[in-house]
Amino acid sequence: MMMSQVDPKTLKIEKEISRSDILLSVTSVGDSSRVFVGSSDARIYELDAMAEKPEPQAMEGHQSYVTGLVQTGELLISGSFDGSLIWWNVETREQVRSVKAHKKWIRQLAISPDGKLVASVADDMVCRIWKTANGRLVRELKGHAEKTPHHFPSMLYACSFSSDGELLATADKTGQTVVWTVKKGKQLAQIETPIMYTWDPKQRIHSIGGVRSVAFSADNSLLAVGGTGTINNIDHLEALSRVEIFDWESGEQTHEFAGDTYKGLVEQLVFHPENQWLLAAGGDHNGFIKFYDLNEKKIIKQDKAPMHIHDLVVNEAYDTIYAVGHGKLVVWKMQSEASEV
Amino acid sequence: MTRCRPRELAFTLLFFSVITPLLCGDELLPADRPIAEAVDHYIDLQLAGASITPAAEATNATLLRRTMLDLAGRVPTAAEAQQYAAGTSENKRRELVDRLLNDDAFIRHTASELNTLLSGDRSEELRPYLVDSLTSGKGWDQMFREMINGDNSQEASKGPTSFVFRRLNDLDKLTNVTSAIFFGINISCAKCHDHPLVEEWTQAHFFGMKSFFNRSFGNGDFLGERDYGAVQFKTTEGENQDARMMFLSGSVIDEPTWKSPNAEQQNAAKKQLEQLKKDKKPLPAPSYSRREQLVKVVLETDDQHYLARSIVNRTWHRLMGVGLVMPLDQMHPENPASHPRLLDWLARDFVEHGYDLKRLVRGLMLSRAYGRTSHWESDAARPAASRFAVASVRTLTPKQYATSLRIASRSAGYWKNENREELLKQIAAEESAAAEMASKFEQPGEDFQVSVGEALMFNNSADIQNKLLAEDGSMLVGQLKAVTDDRQLVDEASWNVLGRPLADEERQLMMQYVANRKDRRNAAIQQLVWALLTSGEFRFNY
Amino acid sequence: MVKPRRTSFCGSPEHDINRRRFLGGATALAGISGGLHALRHPVLADELKKQQKRVILLWLAGGASQLETWDPKPGRPTGGPFRSIQTSTAGLQISELMPKMASRLQDTAIIRSLNTRIGDHGGGSILMHLGRRDEPNLSYPDLGSVMARELGQADSTVPDYVTFYTATEGRGNAVGRPGFLGARYAPMFLTTSNKPEDIERIANLSEIDHKQRGDLRQLLSDRFTRGRETSRALDSHNVAYRRVRGLMASDTLFDVEQEPQKMRDRYGPTLFGQQCLIARRLAEAGTPFVKVSRAWWDSHGQNFETHLELVTELDHVMSTLLDDLKERGLLESTLVITMAEFGRTPKINGSLGRDHFANAWSASLSGCGVQGGSVYGKTDEDGQTVADGEIGAARMFATIYKALGIDPHKDYYVGARPVPLTDPGTTVVDELLA
Repeated sequence: MMMSQVDPKTLKIEKEISRSDILLSVTSVGDSSRVFVGSSDARIYELDAMAEKPEPQAMEGHQSYVTGLVQTGELLISGSFDGSLIWWNVETREQVRSVKAHKKWIRQLAISPDGKLVASVADDMVCRIWKTANGRLVRELKGHAEKTPHHFPSMLYACSFSSDGELLATADKTGQTVVWTVKKGKQLAQIETPIMYTWDPKQRIHSIGGVRSVAFSADNSLLAVGGTGTINNIDHLEALSRVEIFDWESGEQTHEFAGDTYKGLVEQLVFHPENQWLLAAGGDHNGFIKFYDLNEKKIIKQDKAPMHIHDLVVNEAYDTIYAVGHGKLVVWKMQSEASEV
Repeated sequence: MTRCRPRELAFTLLFFSVITPLLCGDELLPADRPIAEAVDHYIDLQLAGASITPAAEATNATLLRRTMLDLAGRVPTAAEAQQYAAGTSENKRRELVDRLLNDDAFIRHTASELNTLLSGDRSEELRPYLVDSLTSGKGWDQMFREMINGDNSQEASKGPTSFVFRRLNDLDKLTNVTSAIFFGINISCAKCHDHPLVEEWTQAHFFGMKSFFNRSFGNGDFLGERDYGAVQFKTTEGENQDARMMFLSGSVIDEPTWKSPNAEQQNAAKKQLEQLKKDKKPLPAPSYSRREQLVKVVLETDDQHYLARSIVNRTWHRLMGVGLVMPLDQMHPENPASHPRLLDWLARDFVEHGYDLKRLVRGLMLSRAYGRTSHWESDAARPAASRFAVASVRTLTPKQYATSLRIASRSAGYWKNENREELLKQIAAEESAAAEMASKFEQPGEDFQVSVGEALMFNNSADIQNKLLAEDGSMLVGQLKAVTDDRQLVDEASWNVLGRPLADEERQLMMQYVANRKDRRNAAIQQLVWALLTSGEFRFNY
Repeated sequence: MVKPRRTSFCGSPEHDINRRRFLGGATALAGISGGLHALRHPVLADELKKQQKRVILLWLAGGASQLETWDPKPGRPTGGPFRSIQTSTAGLQISELMPKMASRLQDTAIIRSLNTRIGDHGGGSILMHLGRRDEPNLSYPDLGSVMARELGQADSTVPDYVTFYTATEGRGNAVGRPGFLGARYAPMFLTTSNKPEDIERIANLSEIDHKQRGDLRQLLSDRFTRGRETSRALDSHNVAYRRVRGLMASDTLFDVEQEPQKMRDRYGPTLFGQQCLIARRLAEAGTPFVKVSRAWWDSHGQNFETHLELVTELDHVMSTLLDDLKERGLLESTLVITMAEFGRTPKINGSLGRDHFANAWSASLSGCGVQGGSVYGKTDEDGQTVADGEIGAARMFATIYKALGIDPHKDYYVGARPVPLTDPGTTVVDELLA
């Protein structure tokens, strides 16, 4: 099905909701403007992002930052720094089950395209795949090193399914991304992006960075990883944002976007299903949102965001973005031929 | 402490400097006496009054070494030491001083000492200016003027105004440093005052002094000054007040009324400044300069003595080891000088002769007080250093020490003694080369102590070994290798390093050391030279 | 004018020793270097026994976050994502990032109520190294120099004061200065190497020649010193050289390879771990003060990631050090301190970082003289202000001195001016002391 051309150059903020907390995760209910957001106050809030007066409904259950949210059918699944996954009924907002999924902080969740599986990555350096229907553990993907080469505990930041649900990519602190088969949990490829991990042996003797986002292209041939560039003063996210794209099977790097304007981490990557563009969003003290043209290998559009973006979802037409981050929820819209402004 | 009530301060100063001596029938010595004579007059007067017999004059060798360290920043070569010892002229000490005063080394060394005083850290920004000023015989008053409010059309970091320019980001510190260095008064000692009223005066003094600087600012590489703005402070009643310019004496400076610019004027000024910065151009002079007022009050009013007394005290301290007033930044009536009339006389002499530093140094160094030995032989208790009955042991500055080490470790034959110009060039080259080693030593302050790190370095650093104890012909060790007679060996070593003949006991010790090492004579020579270079005697100016 | 407070010089030999030690450096105790000589002199023996105390300071340079260590606020908007865990002290919780320390707080006291007001690295470091504000016309000694003076021995053959600071960031702030106590008490400042510079004999100089060369030097210098004994600078020169051979012999203390692999593995493979192991070796040999700086905690961005790394390391290394000291019977005579120039803001910024914060932060004391298992002071529910038991640097230092048996109100003398160790009126926090 051919989609209408969505023009990032028409990107405009439609709505901006200020909050006193930090929002780490977001998912939408189907294709609506109803969203669930995961907060630093350990709650999940449901609200209609486009309503005149969105009245967030709080859902309690987690003990720490809610860093992952996915939705499928009637289910909302959340993951948190408290290491647990909670299943919720989307309509009633009641807990369906709670699973002690990881011993350490869950960083991200990903849902398979068919909605049957949910993957969680955590700082125990394990990716676990669960059945969404019943919460059963299906597979464990172990391979990322628990410690960095410098003897410190590592982090497993990002995961993403391929569009056919066959593959899963996981990415860690040291700049390593692994591609696995979902069925057997076999490692198919390892991609290294060492620039995204800065270890400072001299000035401050610790590290910063890591691969924070990972995404397959629509035809699954390409894998994009996002992070930040080499940092000199690791007290700050002072390097320009960075995205590298690989033909993951051959391991060859196809694109390198080393940033030109905005600094900080690339926290989310979204490929347009017809490769019209690649969206990257994130931030440092501030935030940014960018659209890359993969054919021309340049930026179509980039804007400062009102906040450091931690997560976002895109609607089915790919013309609306619900983004959450530090103290804000923002709705961006773009024009497409078919839609009205 | 009463020192900060301005009227009392002025009165007490007056009292001490003029009235007391008159009451005691003890006016200042006439102004036409030579400096050395005045120094000895007052020192000896006090010694007589306390029934203290001063120590004898230092030996020739000691005096030569001391004089050269203080005027040329280095120890003598063996040839210089032997030549001076053999000299028969009655006035050889004076001739020596006068000869050294005319050398470039005097200028270099004095510039180093002043640079350390004015810059605090190891920065070199002022040095070229200091060398120039000393070369042209500029008076300290003129140097003060130029450092506080010199030619602002030149880049500030390259000349005398760098004194102010590099401290603009901390005006409190600039105020403190100016006051302590130039006037010998540390005004940041809020804790010293218990009296609630005195607290307020201290504030007024501090903010009064700061007011001379508050309008100054940097624009790119140039120093500028606004013609508006005041320092604000809170009175003890909690009111906000604008400080007025007030010098340490309590003298308040009246200034024309000023107005803060309105927004439009501020914007225009800002644009102008940005343009000037871009064009790398100096700033226009303000219609009224507060820094200029400081210069005026210090140089053109009755408050002149502050500048003179402080530099006289510091110069005395540098050459004698103890200031007439100690600590150097506590010159106030509650802390009288050890020899108040001497300080008065010297300050008056200094002012009357154009604030001439060279003249002052010469005068002090020709005195008997300067020339005494530091070795106290008498059974009587050693008198306090502030009596100047016996010389103090002074720590060498890093530059003096490193330069002297290099010179002492050169062979006697290395020096081009026949050609004075060439010799001085060689010496200057050693000075430059010594900079790296000098950075390893600590700048001595009051109550300096050698760290164990220095001792370890001399003991075990390969670098030191290679630099000072190398065996080629240009080096002392190389020279001594060729000497077969042990007695001659140790004597040559001593003249080269210590600049004097050995005592019998020492000679015996050293000869024994070498004799015990017949199988490794060269190593023994290195170790011998090492022991001399690292001896306490060499480390200090005695 | 302030009259100098008189303390009795005459009377107990102890006072006399202290005075002579201060005035004359080692000449007052010339020839006495511990061991048999000291034991013959009963007062000295007591002195020495009292002096077998040491301090290991873990300097968390850059400002560690109290919220991610000793004073967590889970669930609060300022609390961050990490939770708190129960400790060995009933009712006391610390950050989940410190599980090892949590289980062994029996010898540790936590201070949660520091308010030191200075939020810049330079000023904060000076304050937390001197225990007081700097004065322009009086150079105060830092904690290490004071300890070297109070707990050290006159002709010590081990270093009295060693500082490790390997990272380049913030090194200049890590004040190690003896001030008016004199360079005798200056630290050995180790940066690029864990071994002091110049501590090994040059290859082509034999042991005997090295020693006898030094003896020759000493003899010549002694002759020179006669008639000039009052020069403290000259005396210090001799003292410094006299200490060289002893210090050289202590070079093996700095060599971790002297420890069995098992012990080295216990401390872990990080630099901080290895340096703490060396610190234990030095303390064990009698070095009164070792500072191991762990730089650089200044997490303006990515505070949680940084603390995940650094607190995990601190937890492991500190607990290993305390266990190690305890096993060797040294903990009751060794004071282990964790401290920084300040803490971090409760407010979390856009980079998920925390900024400088000196209004309400934490430190810890373990071992010698400390009331273990205790916590002193409270902050409000968000950690924004101190709610109870506010103390500043002065009281912190007074308490440290008292824990080691040093009178915090004793006077040093600079010329005729008495300089108290802590400012008059400073009280000890008794609740922190055993």
